[in-house]
Formats: sequence, C-alpha cells, structure tokens
Amino acid sequence: MDKPELFVDGKRVDGRALDELRPVKVDAGVLSNADGSAYVEWGKNKVIAAVYGPREHIPRHGQNPYKANVRVKYNMTPFCSIDGHGRSGPNRRSTEISKVLEEVYENVVLTDHFPKTAIDVFIEVLQADGGTRIAALTAGAVALANAGIPMKDVVAGAASGKAGGKMILDLGKLEDNYGESDIPIGISPRTKEILLMQMDGLLTKQEIAEAIDLSFKGAEKVSELQKKALKDCYDKKMSEAGQGAQQ
Amino acid sequence: MSKIVVPGETLSDTPKPIAYGFTEGGKTYSSITGVFDEKNFRLIPIEGVYIPVVGDYVVGVVTDVKYAGYNVDIHSAYGAFLSNKETRDLFELGDLIVAKIKGVDEVKNVDLTDARKLKDGKVVNVVPSRVPRLIGKKSSMVNLVKDGTGTEIVIGKNGRIWLKGGNIGLATSAVEKIDDEAYTSGLTDRMAKYIGDNKQ
Repeated sequence: MDKPELFVDGKRVDGRALDELRPVKVDAGVLSNADGSAYVEWGKNKVIAAVYGPREHIPRHGQNPYKANVRVKYNMTPFCSIDGHGRSGPNRRSTEISKVLEEVYENVVLTDHFPKTAIDVFIEVLQADGGTRIAALTAGAVALANAGIPMKDVVAGAASGKAGGKMILDLGKLEDNYGESDIPIGISPRTKEILLMQMDGLLTKQEIAEAIDLSFKGAEKVSELQKKALKDCYDKKMSEAGQGAQQ
Repeated sequence: MSKIVVPGETLSDTPKPIAYGFTEGGKTYSSITGVFDEKNFRLIPIEGVYIPVVGDYVVGVVTDVKYAGYNVDIHSAYGAFLSNKETRDLFELGDLIVAKIKGVDEVKNVDLTDARKLKDGKVVNVVPSRVPRLIGKKSSMVNLVKDGTGTEIVIGKNGRIWLKGGNIGLATSAVEKIDDEAYTSGLTDRMAKYIGDNKQ
C-alpha cells in the first residue's frame, strides 16, 4: 500500500489545522457499579474508565503500609481496531501504558491518606484511532475525581508530533503510523508540570520545544472539558433544586 | 453561595487550612470533587469511601467469630475488630451490629466497643460522605423521616442505614432520595413535602 498523503491543500487528512484538537467529549459518572467512572470520545477513539477504591489491597503482598497503591489496568478490547483481531488480554504495549499511567496518577493522588489500600483504575479502549493512551489518561483522571479520591489535580494530556514535515497537535491513527514523530504528553494543568512524556521518532531540540508547546495548549482545552463533565454530574439535580453547579 | 469544585481548583489565594483541601505555594486548593461553601469557607465531599474515625457509630456485619472476639466488616477499606472484652453479648456469623469505634491505630485497624445486635429490618447503603446530610442539623432530617414513617432508623457513619418497621417503603425511598440529592440546597423543605405527600 502506498504511503498516504498526510497533507492535502495545506490541511491534514481529516481537514484539521496544524494546532487543532480532534473533537473531544467527556462524561463523568457513567457506571453505577464503580465508585467512579468516565467515558471519553476523542475523535474516533472511545474509552471508558472505572475506579474502585480506596479498598482492601488484594492480594495482600505488595500492600504498602504507608500509602495506597494505585493500580492501573489499561486494556484494548478485541473489537477496538479495524481488523477486529479478536485477541484479548494484556500485551507488552498495554502493560507499558498501564505502568506509565500508574506513575502519572501516583504523582497527584494523595495516597498517604489511605495506607495499605488499593485504588484500582480500569481503562478499556472500545474503539481506537490513534492517541489512545492520552484518551485513557484523560478518562482515568476524571474517573478518579468522580470516585471522590483526593488528588492535587485532574491530569490532562495531548499528543503532538510531526507528520508530513509539519509540527502538529493530536495525531490521528494515520498521522501516527506514517508520520515522523509522536509525543504523548500528560500534564498537571494547575502546576504545568509534565507527568507523562514519551516519544517515537526523531526531532530536533527546537521541534521538541514546539511539540511541548502544542501539547500544553491541547491539554488545557481538554482540562476544561474534564472539569465541566465532573460538575455536570450534579448540575441537573442542582438546577432542579434552583441552584447552579457552575456558579 | 455554594458551588461545585474539583481537585486542583483554587479555593483561596492565601494559605488557609481546610478539610479536604491542601495548601501549596501560598494558595489553597480543593483535593476533591465537592461543594464549596465560600461564606463559611467549608468544603463538603460529595463522593468518597468511609474513613474510620474514633467516636463514630458504624453498622457492621460479623464476618468471623474468633476466640478473642469478632471480625466485623464496616464497608471500608479497613477491617474492624470487636473484642470479647468490649461486649457482654454473643454474636454469630452474619449478624448485623451497630457499634462505636473505640480506637483507630496508625495503620487504620479499627477497634469497636458498645456493640448491639440489629435484629430483622433491612439495610440501605448511602455514600458515606453524605451521612451528615442525612442526619441534618440537630438530627432535623432523620427525625423528619422517623416522624413521618414511624420507622426505626439507625444511621451508621459508614454509610449503612438500618431500617425497621413502620412505613418502611417510604422510609427507604426517602433515605435514597436524600442520598441522591444530598448536595442540593433546600433539601429539608423538599423532603418534608415529599414525606407529607406520600404518607397516606
């Protein structure tokens, strides 16, 4: 198959501008059996996250007597990709993403409030179209906040990179597969700290700086959507009672 | 005025200690999703599991009968133990009890005392952080339900509510409604109307 044209008439394959995010939708509190949950649609990606905890740490070994262990399980469903591979279960990539997301959340969750417990974050990718780890990060963060788990911030992220020779924000599947570089970045919007940063491909120092800048702008937009989703959970009942959740 | 805040949201530009919040770099932030009462500078969580506190009364289930006492599940990440020395009664596996938390150690093991068996009745689970709203100022909310239904109600701070007798159907739906709308204002008046309308 020929390498597809990543730029047509100065626009990206899906018509977006260089610094334009795909449409993102965030909903909180979508599962009644979990302590906290979130559903994110990011372009064509569909991700759902469920949080349980803080709860008893099972198995007992690995329990930390001083704080809670945040355990993330990122998984792609057998039907999430275009070839419907039907294979399920963890692979090296999903183990890597699980570990990386665990480290992000452990940076912001106030784990020392709950010694010996476990906080489980389950993230399932129902449909994948490039950038799933960032969509997963976004959904997991909202699910944690929805569960009432004390944290220093609701983390957000956006990937940036290079495709067709141009620096772009939020790579889609095609741009990720055929482009020159992909950098997913996760941040704490409040402090502007970078909590996740991985990179495929080769870039100059200047290009990396541009990528970080693009990602920050994207992540800030996502952060607004996360906050709104969390508040909207309660907005309906509050407005029925004659108040607003968003004052 | 109250508004919903999320983790990381600024509550104050000065470092003012507040429960469920934290201070950093001279500012105060929320650590949870909750209702922020600006006037009284108070933060009330909307969701969250139960964290054992000394003095709380909790409703638990006996999960193990040991030589020296009982293991009790209090619907928390932390287990509880009722020593034989703390009670004259005998309990069996599966018994529902209400007990007071006598002590919580550094690793959050809970010791119970003053236990009493809850016979028959049913249990409704509410979000633990909403229990204060269910009780109300000077027990105003729970008394509203008790008076309007004649149901016996025992409230566990751990979110387990025991109901027995009276108009138990109305009591159950009233407790569930309070749990559902705990973070809204004017709830006491609405509940008074709800119970009045459905009394028959």
